[in-house]
Formats: sequence, C-alpha cells, structure tokens
Amino acid sequence: MSRWVLALAAMLPLGAAGCVDQAAGGGAGSREQIRAVGSSTVYPFTTIAAEQYLANNPQARPPVVESTGTGAGMKLFCAGIGAAHPDIEDASRRMKRNEYDICVRNGVDGVLEVQIGIDGIAFAEARNGPKMALTPADIYRALAAAPGGRRNTARTWRDVNPALPAVPIQVYGPPSTSGTRDALAELILATGCEAVDPAMKAVRDHSPDAFNARCLRVREDGAYIDAGENDNLIVQKLQSNPNALGIFGYGYLEENARAVDGVPIGGVAPTYDTIASGAYPGARPLYIYVKKAHLRAIPGLRAFLRQYAQAWDRGGPLVKRGLIAAPAAIQQRSAAIVAGEIALDPAELK
Amino acid sequence: MNSAPPSPAAPVRTPTDWQSPAMQRRIRHRYAAERRFRWLGLGAVSLSAAFLVFLLATMIGQGANGFLETRIALPIDLRAAKVDVPPARLAGPGGDLALAGAGLEGAVDAAANAAFPQQGGAAVLSDGAWLRVRDAVKRDPSLLSRPATIDVPVATDIDVALKGDGTPESEAIVSALRPRLSKGLNLSFFSGADATDPTRAGIWGALKGSLFTMLVTLALAFPVGVLSALYLEEYAPRNRWTDLIEVSINNLAAVPSIIFGLLGLAVFLNTFHMPRSAALVGGLTLALMTMPVIVIAGRNAIKGVPPSIRDAARGLGASPIQVVFHHVLPLALPGILTGTIIGMARALGETAPLLMIGMRAFIAAPPDKLTDPATALPVQIFLWSDEVAKGFVEKTSAAIIVLLAFLLAMNGIAIYLRNRFETRW
Repeated sequence: MSRWVLALAAMLPLGAAGCVDQAAGGGAGSREQIRAVGSSTVYPFTTIAAEQYLANNPQARPPVVESTGTGAGMKLFCAGIGAAHPDIEDASRRMKRNEYDICVRNGVDGVLEVQIGIDGIAFAEARNGPKMALTPADIYRALAAAPGGRRNTARTWRDVNPALPAVPIQVYGPPSTSGTRDALAELILATGCEAVDPAMKAVRDHSPDAFNARCLRVREDGAYIDAGENDNLIVQKLQSNPNALGIFGYGYLEENARAVDGVPIGGVAPTYDTIASGAYPGARPLYIYVKKAHLRAIPGLRAFLRQYAQAWDRGGPLVKRGLIAAPAAIQQRSAAIVAGEIALDPAELK
Repeated sequence: MNSAPPSPAAPVRTPTDWQSPAMQRRIRHRYAAERRFRWLGLGAVSLSAAFLVFLLATMIGQGANGFLETRIALPIDLRAAKVDVPPARLAGPGGDLALAGAGLEGAVDAAANAAFPQQGGAAVLSDGAWLRVRDAVKRDPSLLSRPATIDVPVATDIDVALKGDGTPESEAIVSALRPRLSKGLNLSFFSGADATDPTRAGIWGALKGSLFTMLVTLALAFPVGVLSALYLEEYAPRNRWTDLIEVSINNLAAVPSIIFGLLGLAVFLNTFHMPRSAALVGGLTLALMTMPVIVIAGRNAIKGVPPSIRDAARGLGASPIQVVFHHVLPLALPGILTGTIIGMARALGETAPLLMIGMRAFIAAPPDKLTDPATALPVQIFLWSDEVAKGFVEKTSAAIIVLLAFLLAMNGIAIYLRNRFETRW
C-alpha cells in the first residue's frame, strides 16, 4: 500500500521539473527558432520555406509558423520587439497605416516589406454548375449590404442582371477577419461600386466611412455565407450544392480543378497567366513583413529570408504549390529589400 | 390496494380472479410495457453502437491508406554520380550533412530523370525520396560503390492516383509505371513531424507533443486534485465556505474549454511570459481543466470507503494521516484513477484551448523539451483537414485513427486499474 504513497511522491518532482524548465525557457530572454504568424493564404508558402530552411540547415531549430489570419497576425506582430513576439508576419494584403502606427508605438520601427508573389481571389462553381460569367458590378449588386444606398433585396442572380440565370444567390466565402475578405472588398466590391455609381470615386477620397458603408459592407441576410477559414469546406459545399458560388485563393482552385471551375469575372477566367499579368480583376499581392531588429537577434532569420527569396521564382517550389510568381521587376525589388535590409517607408502605406 | 379508507364495516376480502377479462388485460399491459421498455433500451444501445461503427468504419476505410505509401523501384548508381563520402564520416553524426553536401539529392533526381524520362523524371518522386536513399546508404555504405535499385516513395499525386482518386494525367503515369510500383507500410508516418508534402508528413511530432502535454497535465492535476479531494472529504469542516468551494468546483468542471484557453493565454503567456506554443503551457492550461474532474471523482471515491475502516484504524491507534494514507487512499484509488484517466482522455482530445495558446503552428520537427514549440494530435488533425493537397485527406483520417487508438489505450488502462484494485464490501 505504501508504494502508492511513493508513486504519489514521485509525481511531485515531475511537477517541480516543469517549473524549472519554465524558468529556463520562458521570459523575454533569447529564442532559438524563427516565429511567423499571419495569413492562412501565405501560410502554405511560409511552411515550404521553413521546411527547406530546415533541410538546408539540419542543425537549426525548426521555424514555427502559425496561421492566425492577417489581421490577428498584425496584432501579434506589432505587440513589441523581443523573443516573446513573432519575427515574421504573413500578410495577404498590405499593412495598413494604422497598423504600422501601432507597431511604432510598441517599439517596432524598422519593418521590411517583402512581396513574395501574387494570389488571385477566385470565384468558383461546381463543374455541373450554371456556368456563370460575372462582372464586378454584378457581384457588388449581389453581395453588398446596401448597393446604391438601399437595402439589398436581390434573391436570384437574375434580379441582379437579367442576362444571368435565375438561381438563388448563395456565396460561400471567408470571414471578416480574413485577408481574402479584405481583398474581395478592395478588388471586386470597390470596383463594382464605382462602376455602378461613378460618383463614389469622389466619395472615397473625401469621406472613406461613407464609401465603406455604401461599397464594401457585405450583406448579412444569408446570401453571403461565412464559411470560416477552411477553404476545403467551401469546395465540399460547392460539390453538394451546384448552384452556390465559392470564394477562395487561386491555389485551391488549381488543386481542385477536377471538382470546381473558375468563374470568369469581366470576361477573364482565373488562370495562372491572367492573374500574373494583372488582367484578372481579383489579383492581389502577398507579403511577408519582417522586424529589422530581429534580423540580428534571431539566429537563422537572415538565412531563412534568403531561402524564401530563392523559392519564389516561376519554376520554384512555391509556384508548384499554387503561388503566382510576381513580375520580374517586383521580384528584383523584393530581393533587394532582403539583401539590403531596407526598411519600409511608412509614407507609402494607406 | 391495502390502503382502503377506514370504515366501520370490516372489508370483504375476495380472492383475485386472475382469469377475469379485466385482470387479463391488465397483465397483458404490464407485459407489453415491460417489453416496450426493453426494446427502447436495446434500440438506444444499438443506435449508439451504429454511430460508433459508422465512425470507425469511415475512419478506417479512409484512413487505412494513410498508413500506406506507394514506392517506386529507382535504379541508381551513386558511384557513377560521384557521390563520394568516406564510410568513417557516414557513421558519425555529420553523416547526413556529408551526404547532403556530396549532392545526393541531385543524384537521386538525375537517376529518376534517366529512369523514367517520359513520366516526368524527378517529378514522379516524393520530395522526401532522397532522404530514403540517404537512410539506405547509411545502413549499407556499399551502395555508394555499386549500382543498385532502391524503393523510394512517389509524389503525392501519383500516390493518390494509385489509391484510386487521381487526375487523368497521373492515372496515365501510374499505368505506365505500374510494374515498378509497390505498396508498403509508411514507417516515416510514425517517425516524422508535420510537412508540407503529404508523402513526408508524419504524426510523431504531434503525438510527442500530446505526450508532453499530458505529462505536464498529469504531474500537476493529479497531486493537486487528489490532495484537494482528500482535504475536502477528510479534514474540511462543513460550513458555508466549503459549500461555496464545492459549488465552484462543480461549476469549473462544466466550464467550456475555450475559456480555459483564454485563461491560459492571459495568465501563462501574457502575465508570466512563458513561451508561446510550448507543450508546457498547453499542459498547464489543460491541467486547470482536468483538476475539477479529478477532485469530483476523488471525492466520490473517498466517500465510498466505509466509515468502519476509518473507525477500526483509529481504534487501533492510527493517526489521522496514517488512516488517510494507509487505508482510505489505497481503497479509494481505483475510483480516483478511473476519474483521472477519464479527465485525461478528455484533455487529450481537446483542441480549443490549445488554439488560444498558439499550439497550432507548423513545426517541421518533433519537440525535444517541454518548452519547445509543439502541436498536439487533435490540432494536427485540424491543421491537416485544412491543407490544400489531396493527399492530406487520408493523412487526416490516419491521424484520427492514431488519436482513437491512443484514447482506447488510455480507457483500457482505466478499466484494467479498476478491475485490478477494486475491493468489494
């Protein structure tokens, strides 16, 4: 019977060992591994870079890549300098001016902005779907909360544009915390809004809030269905509901080409070439942001960035996994930023 | 029937007439009700059994392929490719580095390009194929000096095509290469960590993360939980304060797990500045969640020890602490252990709190220490279910099977311990 007492006593040092470990590893001291947070769209590319970095530097600690969404990642990234805060932010949109200001307020001032490539936000339907062809104006009229300032009452695509089939408007898309959703607003809804009402161009400059309410707010009456950050789920929904449309990154469209088709927007289908050339309206740049102060402090961060810069070429591993390579001029600029450690000029941000 | 109202006249007793139609009807109703209840119970059991069978069958059906890999026989001549590493260096710790430096990866790609040029050459092989060649060379250094044929894993689209859900192009490659292809157990799935290529992804990193997390949880929750239960049952006076504590503990056991995640984020990460994503923090957070379950199970088990045992011990001169540790605790232990393991099993399957403290990261190597960044099994399942590549579908199911096996093992231990130490009085 007393062996149970012994067993109990044996548990206690284990707990104590945990406490010692925590004293050694915790706190604001140094950190051996690279930490990245941010967009779920950039996550697969950063994980590939991390894997290759580890393959080339077997002695290094494995980098830690977390997918939090661009907005939540910016909060973590800008919370401060030091081992407790991440080194790299994956972003599927550009950093906003107010995010940069928060960064500076918390002591994060030198930030490298590296464009790694391009992604397209693709509209897709099941292969046996109604074969839609949309314009940004159609999408704006169908998905905005208040197109033209009135509550959106469109039920079918025909309500939006008589040339479209009379199937109900059902669009599965990313949640509002996602960079893909921001890109939907910036690239498609804003363009559509200005096409429907050219006066909105002026409104955008003098009262951005009114522009946001009129142009960028997405309806919340069930026509736009928030499908979470899980893009595989959207593909499954499309297969079970051929009348629905889905919105996700181009990489998923390419991978699921047997199950879903891209919907042309403004007459341009989402393909590698149309997105790379900028002809497709839903093309958007992908970035990583790196803290300059961490380049010295975190072992391997410089090597990791160089690794990343080698991987984003047209024949490179990132493109194999669905990234669209940026034009040569932008690639050269990004490579120069990595090589010269040139910090971002905040005057460029909006 | 006996409670007839008191009346001045003595009740007239007549024997029950079992044959009367009214009585027969009553008997039939009783039997029917009995049967209905039995059928309802049986139906409930078979419904839950059917759900379980459905879950297991789909998981095993989809996941069994996740444990298998497709290999291709790759003819390779490392001497001709001038991969030259002295055997002495090969055996040492720098062996991997030496082989990588000698251009082994390029040599493997070149061999594939030469062997199947029509099917895409190196594109047929998995990203991790050269690692398999590396391990083969380390086992048998003579491979460096002679031509040989080594089985290496194929790329994920070909793997998926052979298992029956490929694109037309990869189906064509499969039919062209079929004589060279073979299937085998994917051992690297049990020894590797997360990877971006499904053919390289392994479960060991997440399993080890889960083990570390459970270790911390057990080391903290078990002693604290058992000591609290002992104190509350054996020593604490019964007053308003202990009632309050009892209600709080019962409440705590029912709090949704995401709230413990937020608590862990606020306390361990933001206040104590512990490392984000570490198994240590995950364990501490889950310990908070498991502790109330252990306290409740422990109190019930201690209550179940008959007072006569305590009285007898006290009567023979045992001190209160001797009564507790020599008699009450050993007799209550089966119940306490069962409760502990059920609590631990719940903690093992928990995802939400771990997401809050950052244990959902991509980490390409298993953790070595409690403070290393780690993932856990349920989180790994969640991450893989969100991956783009088709090959991850079966890996997700395979990871679920591993998690279920882990749970089954824990519950098996609970049943064993209960039967082993159970005393009846």
